[in-house]
Order: sequence, then structure tokens, then C-alpha cells
Amino acid sequence: MSKKDILMKSRVCLFMSLSLMFFLAWSSIGWSQAPREEAETTAQHLATLLNVGRLIVERNQTLIDDPRKGDKGFTPEVFEQAVVDEFTRQTHIDLKHLPSHLPSLAKELLPVLLQSSKEVVADVQFVINQRGIGYKNFIPATFGSQAARKFSNRSHVKIKQITLKPRNLKNTPDAYEENVLKRLATQPASNTPITEWIDNEMTLRALTPIYYSQDCLACHGNPKGILDISGYPREGAQEGDLAGAISVQISVNRSR
Amino acid sequence: MALYDRSSILTSMFISRSIITVRSIIASLPRRLKEIGSQGTVLFLIALGFLLQGCGLVFDAVEMVQPLARDEMSAICSRGQFRVGISVEPFRPFVFPAVFTDEGVRVTGLDVELIREVGDALTTYCGGQKPIVPTLHLTRFRDLFIEMNEGHLDLFVSSVGGNVPGGKPVGLWYSIPYFHNGGIGAMIQKPEVAEKVRAQFQKQAGNLDTLAAIQVGLSGLTVAAQKGRTSHLYAEANLKNIRLLICDSLPAAVETKNPRIDVILSKHSILDYVTKHVWPDWHLLTRNDGTPLILTQEYFSIVTVEEHRRLQWFLNNLLYRLEESGRLEQMRRRWLEEDYAPTRRAATEGLPFEISKVPEHYDLGQCRFATGR
Repeated sequence: MSKKDILMKSRVCLFMSLSLMFFLAWSSIGWSQAPREEAETTAQHLATLLNVGRLIVERNQTLIDDPRKGDKGFTPEVFEQAVVDEFTRQTHIDLKHLPSHLPSLAKELLPVLLQSSKEVVADVQFVINQRGIGYKNFIPATFGSQAARKFSNRSHVKIKQITLKPRNLKNTPDAYEENVLKRLATQPASNTPITEWIDNEMTLRALTPIYYSQDCLACHGNPKGILDISGYPREGAQEGDLAGAISVQISVNRSR
Repeated sequence: MALYDRSSILTSMFISRSIITVRSIIASLPRRLKEIGSQGTVLFLIALGFLLQGCGLVFDAVEMVQPLARDEMSAICSRGQFRVGISVEPFRPFVFPAVFTDEGVRVTGLDVELIREVGDALTTYCGGQKPIVPTLHLTRFRDLFIEMNEGHLDLFVSSVGGNVPGGKPVGLWYSIPYFHNGGIGAMIQKPEVAEKVRAQFQKQAGNLDTLAAIQVGLSGLTVAAQKGRTSHLYAEANLKNIRLLICDSLPAAVETKNPRIDVILSKHSILDYVTKHVWPDWHLLTRNDGTPLILTQEYFSIVTVEEHRRLQWFLNNLLYRLEESGRLEQMRRRWLEEDYAPTRRAATEGLPFEISKVPEHYDLGQCRFATGR
């Protein structure tokens, strides 16, 4: 073998080695990038779905609190259909026929959250169908707490409602959430979730802010300090103020 | 004839052989039972019970060998639960309507706080190793007694009057009172009804006779009372000249527009609460000096079935201790006098109940005129 051939062979080997190294590095980046994006998309969809459930409860609040009516017809099936329709309107995703491009994690978890939400509405049927009773405390916040808890108990993903001044101490934010909420409170209203990777990029924290609407102010508005219908002092909030957030926590290593 | 004789001989031989066999089995029975132990004995006796259907003595024998039914206190301790019947009809402030909280569906009220006290005391009684938790069974008041007698409940607590004639169904036991200041009161909407009653008191000129004033003052009026409760019993027994309307619940009476109801009778403490917090269009009927008009005294008791003597003593001793320690008085003040939001209390101290064990759709019901008066 000539000197030229040896040189040629070593160049080919070097090229192949570099190619292999590049391929391995690229695929490893791609592998870690995919679950991150998947987790972020899933967190956003989960927060949207919980918020849609809250919205459907809020839209039916007058019906739910109607003391003259017994059977309200607000069944789990009616609720589910309304949620599916509103979720489709907001995201163009049909929860009944999940599109193939949706991350597998979202495909796995969205039906679980929908089912958990439905079960909360099923559990509350006895309460909301009482005739002669007006306010029953079945409101977006209590619905959200229960649906989130049921969901979190069934999956490795944690979801909860948080606020800086919680009426329910279980909605107290942790240190990370508190920092983000404080930051959000000083910023203009935005529906964009705040996402961050912590624990050596292994845990996703995603906070989707919730703002007070006009309907919320009956209990959370003014006069500040005066007890609302549920017995809690009003916060003195104004329309558009930060009410809290939906916090989603996904660990990537466990989600795969 | 020969054939007859032969068959009779054969029959008598068979019978005598059978008797010998049964005798030998009976003779060897104690030894065999000893061999197979008490568990086997029970199984043997149960099997015998199936063979001799309707023979209660066999079951008595089973009980002697190994008691199947423990006393009610041991049963509660081993279950870790006691089953409490509570009325689904809201008797504020004793039982508030079930509300939804962050923790799920909850009920609260004075009766519910008392149930928690019973639970704490049972936990101590049972050794304190594990908490004895109440499982609430929300049921319609009219079904409570049936549920009790069929053994589905250990006790029930629903502001039940313990001293009104006709108010104690057979087979049930009533504890010493946990609420003394009860009594039947009345609420009205039209001021002229109050004037009519007060005019009768004025006529009495110091020679007070509440029953006589009520009988004349309410005569000709439409008076509503809840079916089966003590106000109903009072009206049936004492108010002959009224048009008595029987309602399935207190809210049903309030909702009824036709016929127009002049007076609603119910427990005074309940009426006192609802006229202040729930139905401000209704007012308590008072005496001429503005003090509450109580038609008859009534105290509230916890109810169990007649046979549960251990549980009954336990409850009486507990209620006595709660009274002498001032705890019952504190509870009464807390629910009847303080300003509070029931929903908030439900969230922090309410008790859950099994959704599957409540009427699927609770309807407050209707009112109808009493018949046969």
C-alpha cells in the first residue's frame, strides 16, 4: 500500500468518524428537543382545557344558582359538549377526534382532564339540582380545584390553580409560582403562558395567567373587605387585574 | 298378606337401623365437634340450619358457640365508621343545604358539628388507634325512621323533637337533649295576622293563655306545617279551626303561592334563622312585647334504635359531659347567634357524604290540604 493510499484511507476514516459524531450529536439534540416541545404544547393545552371548563361553569352560573328550578339539565354530558365546542373554538382541536399532529403526551392527557372535569360535574349534580337553594358555591374556582386535583391524582403531571391571596390555602403558590405571579401582576395582561425549564432542564413549569372579568367582581371586587355571598372578604379587584394562574408542572424524564 | 308382612318387616328393620345410625352420630357428635374445632362447629350448625329451614333454635345454637353479631359499639369500632342519618331537607342552622367546596360536596351546621363531637368521642372509646369517622347518609326526613329500623343507620341527628306527643315512632330511642331552647314558632308575611293574634293576647289582660290566643288568633287562616314534623303534630292536635296545609318541606311552604299561606309553623330556632338570613319577606310571630312567641316547648335529641343500649348510654353520657363543660352552649351560640357564612364553614369544617347514598334528584315537594279534619 502506497503512502497516498494510507493517507486517503485515514481521511475517509476521519470523515466517517466526524460524520458519525455529528449525526449522534444532532440526533441527541433532536431527541431532547422533541419532548421539551411536546411538554410545552401539552402544558398549554391542559391549561386551556381547565380554563375552558371554568368558563363553561361561569356561563351557566345563573342557571346553577337558580333557586326556582330543580333539575338544571347541566349534566356531565351537556358540560362535556360545551367544553368540546369551546375548546375547538379556541384551539381548533377537536377533543373527540384528536388530530395526529398533536403530541402523544397531549393525546394521552387531554382526555384524562376532560374525564376528570366531567366527573366533577357528575359529583355536583345533587347540589346544583336542589330547588329552593340559590348560591351553591359551585363556581369556576371550586370546579377548577376539584378537576385539577382529580386529574393530578391520575397522572404524573401536576396542575393547580394558584393565586397570591388564596381563599383556599391549597391554592397557595410555591416559591417559584409566587415569583412569577408577582412579576405577572406588574405586567400588562397577556394570555401567553410563562414557561421555564428547571431542575437541570428536566422539569417544565408553565403558568397561564387568569384575569378578573366583570362576572368575577361580584365576589372579588368592591367594596373591599365586605363579605361576599360565600363569606369571604372581597379583594377589591378591578376588571383586568391578575386573578391568579393555572400552573402546570411536567417532568420530562417521567413523561417519556 | 305375606307380602304386606314382609314389607312391614323390611320397613321396621330400615327404621330401626336408621335410628341406630342417628343415635351413633349424635353420640359421637361432641367428640367430632371437638376434632373439627369451633369454626367447623359453626359450619356444621349452619349446614344444619339449611337442612332445617325456619328452625330458629339452630341459629341460637350458632350464636352460643360463636356469637355472630357483636354489640353495636364493637361493630362501630371494628368498622372504623358510624353511620349517621341526616335530613336532606335543610333545617338551617342545624343542617345547611349541601354545598360544593374545594374539597368536594359538604354539609355543615350545628347538627353536623355535634356529629363530629360524637366521632371524636367514639375514637377515644375505640382506643384512639384509628379515627372513627362518620359516614353521612342524607335522606328525606320521612325515610329516616325506615332507614333506622332497617339497620342502615347507627343514629340520626336532624333536630328531632324528643318530647312532642306523637313524635316518637315505636322502636326508636331518644337521647337526653342537646338543644333545650327549641319550641314551635310561627312566621308570617301579612302584619294583620300578627295584629289578630296580638289582639287575643290583649284581651287576656295579664291572664296569659298562649294556646287560647293562638287558637282564636289563627282561626280561619291557612297554616302550613311540614309533614310528620312536630309542628304538624301540634297543629293537628291543637288548632282545629285552621285550614291546615301539609308541605313536604319548609321551602315548599315558602314557595307556595296558591293557596296563599298566612302562617308557617316550624321550629322556632329555624324560623328565627331563616327570617333573618334566607327569607326576609317573612317575619317571626312575636308576643305583644316583641319577645318570641313559642307555641310549645321542644327539645332536640339524637335518635337510635331501641335495642342499642350501649350506644344509648354512650350518647347520653357524652351529651351530659358536653353540656356540663359548656361545649354544647358554645356550639349553640356559634350557630344561632354569631354572624357567619355557612359556605365558608362548610369548606373548613363540613362533612362529606356519599353521593351515591342521596336521593338522585332532591325535590322540595309540594303542599296539600290536610284531609280528615
